[in-house]
Amino acid sequence: MRKFLAIVVCKLGRFVGKLVGKGSSMPGKFALKICPDILKRVQLPPHIIAVTGSNGKTSTVEMIATVLRAQGKHVIYNAEGSNQVEGVTTLILTHATLGGKVNADVLLLESDERYAAHSFKYFHPTEFVITNLYRDQLTRNGHPESVFDAILPAIHPDTELILNGDDPLSSCFAIGHKKVKWFGLNHCATDTDAPTGVYHDGTYCPVCRAPMEYDYVHYNHIGAYRCTKCGHARPAPDYAATDLDLKGGKLVLDGQYTVALAFRSIYNVYNILAAYAACRECGVEGAAIADTLSSYILKNGRMQTFTLGQHHGTLLTSKHENSIAYDTNLRYIASTNDDCTVLIIVDAVSRKYFTSETSWLWDIDFDQLNAPHVKRVILSGLYRNDLAERFTFTGVQNWEVIPGIPDAAAAIKAEGSEDLYVVTCFSDRDKLLNLPDVKKEG
Amino acid sequence: MEIRILHFYPDLMSLYGSYANVSILKRTLEAMGNSVTVERMELGGDADLTHADFVYMGAGTERAQKAALLNFSKLGDAVKAAADAGVTMLFAGNSMELLGKTITDDAGKVYEGLGLAGFASVQNKKRFVEDVYGHTDLYEDAVVGFINRCSVITGVETPLLTSMDMGHGNEGPCGPEGYHCGSVFASQLTGPILVKNPALLKVMVQAVYRHRDQECPEIPVDDYMAQGWAITAEELKARCQK
Repeated sequence: MRKFLAIVVCKLGRFVGKLVGKGSSMPGKFALKICPDILKRVQLPPHIIAVTGSNGKTSTVEMIATVLRAQGKHVIYNAEGSNQVEGVTTLILTHATLGGKVNADVLLLESDERYAAHSFKYFHPTEFVITNLYRDQLTRNGHPESVFDAILPAIHPDTELILNGDDPLSSCFAIGHKKVKWFGLNHCATDTDAPTGVYHDGTYCPVCRAPMEYDYVHYNHIGAYRCTKCGHARPAPDYAATDLDLKGGKLVLDGQYTVALAFRSIYNVYNILAAYAACRECGVEGAAIADTLSSYILKNGRMQTFTLGQHHGTLLTSKHENSIAYDTNLRYIASTNDDCTVLIIVDAVSRKYFTSETSWLWDIDFDQLNAPHVKRVILSGLYRNDLAERFTFTGVQNWEVIPGIPDAAAAIKAEGSEDLYVVTCFSDRDKLLNLPDVKKEG
Repeated sequence: MEIRILHFYPDLMSLYGSYANVSILKRTLEAMGNSVTVERMELGGDADLTHADFVYMGAGTERAQKAALLNFSKLGDAVKAAADAGVTMLFAGNSMELLGKTITDDAGKVYEGLGLAGFASVQNKKRFVEDVYGHTDLYEDAVVGFINRCSVITGVETPLLTSMDMGHGNEGPCGPEGYHCGSVFASQLTGPILVKNPALLKVMVQAVYRHRDQECPEIPVDDYMAQGWAITAEELKARCQK
C-alpha cells in the first residue's frame, strides 16, 4: 500500500510541479518519506547506467541517451540534472506503472558523486561510468580524495565499472574490483611531456604517495602516468581514442570509427569516449555510435553562441570552483587563432548556495591567455578584485577591470569586431546573455 | 635583507591555491626592497632550517597529510629550534595538525605529531566546509576565508582566531580557530589566506622583520587585495546578520 501511495504521490507531485515550474526533487522526497525503500520495491529496466565524476556527467549522459535512442531503445534519464536520490526517485517513479514496473529499456542516471551511495542503496547500476575526479566545488566536496571515499560505497561487486584510465585517481576504483572496462586517449600531437597547470595533482601516486612519472600528458595531470614504486599505472584501454586532431575536428575511436567534433575541446573528447565505452558495453556497434555522435551538438546550454555589436561571441560555461573546467576552456581559447577579447565573470560563486570562497581562482592557469591573439581580457562581477589580484601574478598584460557586467558588455560592444569569449558559470551566464544587446544564436 | 622562505611539500600540500600564500609574501617582501629566495622542500629531501626566515606548509588531503607528517616529523627538533629562535612559520589548512601531539585518523589510527604544541586532532568522516568570518587579537579587521576540515582539535590554549561569527572552529561551530604562539601561526583556513586577509599578511611581514631585529617599514598592499577583502567581509558580515 505504501508503495502504491508513494508512486501516486510522486506522479501527482511531478504533474503539479511541471505546471508551476518547480524542480524535480520534491516529488521524490515525498515518495521517500512515505516509503523509504521504494527504490527496492520497483521493477527496474534490465540496463541501469549511472554516470558520475567531477566533470562531464551531464554531457556524457546526454550523449549516451542520444546514441541509445537512435538505436530504438526506450531510455529514461534525469535530463533536468536532479542527480541526488530525491531526483532519481522522482525519475523512476514518474516512469513506473502504479504496480511499480518501470517502463523503459534503459534507466540512465547522472549521479551526484557525493550522494551516489544514497542513490544506490536499494539498487545498483549494471554499468557505472566514472568520468574523472578533480578539484571541484571545495565548498561542497572538500577535496577529490574525500569524493573518492564517498563514491566507493556506491560500487556494488556486480556492477561493471567503466573508468577513465588516464586519470590516476578515478582509476583507483578498479583496485579490488573484478568487472572493469577502461577508456582512454592514446598519445596525440597536442600532448606535453609533463603535467601542466598551476598545481600538480599527479606528482605523487594516489595509492602509495611515491613520485609518479608520465610518458605523456593530455592536460593537467591526465595522461600516461606510472608510479615509480607500487606499479599503479595507466591501463591499456578497452575503448581508446586512437587519433585526435583537435584543430581539424576529427577523433578516431579504436582505430576505425571517425567522429567529427562539433566542439573541439579535449573535454568533449573525453565525454565522447566515456559515452562510446558505455554504449559499446550496451551492445551498440562502434560505427553507429560514431555516426550519431558526429557533429552532435550538446543541448545542455553549456556552450552558447551570440552576437554583441560587431562581435561574435561564444560563452564557455566553466563551473566556478572547478579549475580544470576553467583550464580546459582557456586552453580552447588559446588554441584559436583569430583575434579575440575574453570576458571573465565571477559574480555569484554558486547559483545553489551562498559562498564568498574564491581560493579556486588560484588553481586556474590564466597564463594560457598570454597569447598574441588574445587582445583584451576584461574581469567583471562582484569578485573582480579577487580575479584581478590573481591576474597580477600572471604574465597576461592586457587585462582590465570593469565591475558591472552591463558596463563590461557595453565596453566590448563599443569597439572592435574581434571574436568574444565569455568564461563564466551557470550562476552568472544569464547576467550577460539576458542583456538587451546580446543576441543569442541557435 | 636577503630573505629565505622554505616552502614544504609544495605539490603534496597544495590544495586550493595554498601556494599563493608564499607568492604574495615573496612579492610583498620584494616590494619592500628585500631579496627573497623560495626553496621548495620536497618529500624525502633534507632541510636546513637554521637560516630560514619563513617556514610554510599548505593544505593537503588527509592521506597526503600523513605522507607529509612521515617526512616532516623527522625534522621535529629542527622545527622546534627554529620556532624557539623566532623564525616565522605559517601552517595553513590541515598542516596545522602536524604541530600537535597526535593526529587520530577517521579509522582510529593514532599518529604522533611534532609536539610543538599541546593540542590533539581527531579526524572524522564528516567534513566541515564553510565560509569564515572571524576575529583575531592581532588586528581589528575581520578574518575572512573558508574552512575545509574533518577534524576536531582540542587543547589549543592560544588560538589564532579568538572568535568566529561564521565558520567551524577547532572544537566546533564559531569557536576559536587555529593556533598562534610566538612566531608560529597556524589555521585550518584553506587557500590563500594571506591574499584574502591583507592584515594577516602584514602580521607575517612584521614577524619576519622582528626576527631579524629590523624596523619594519610601511607594508604595501595593492588595491585589489584591499578591495577584495572589503567586499568579501561585507558579504560575509551581511550573511552573519541574516
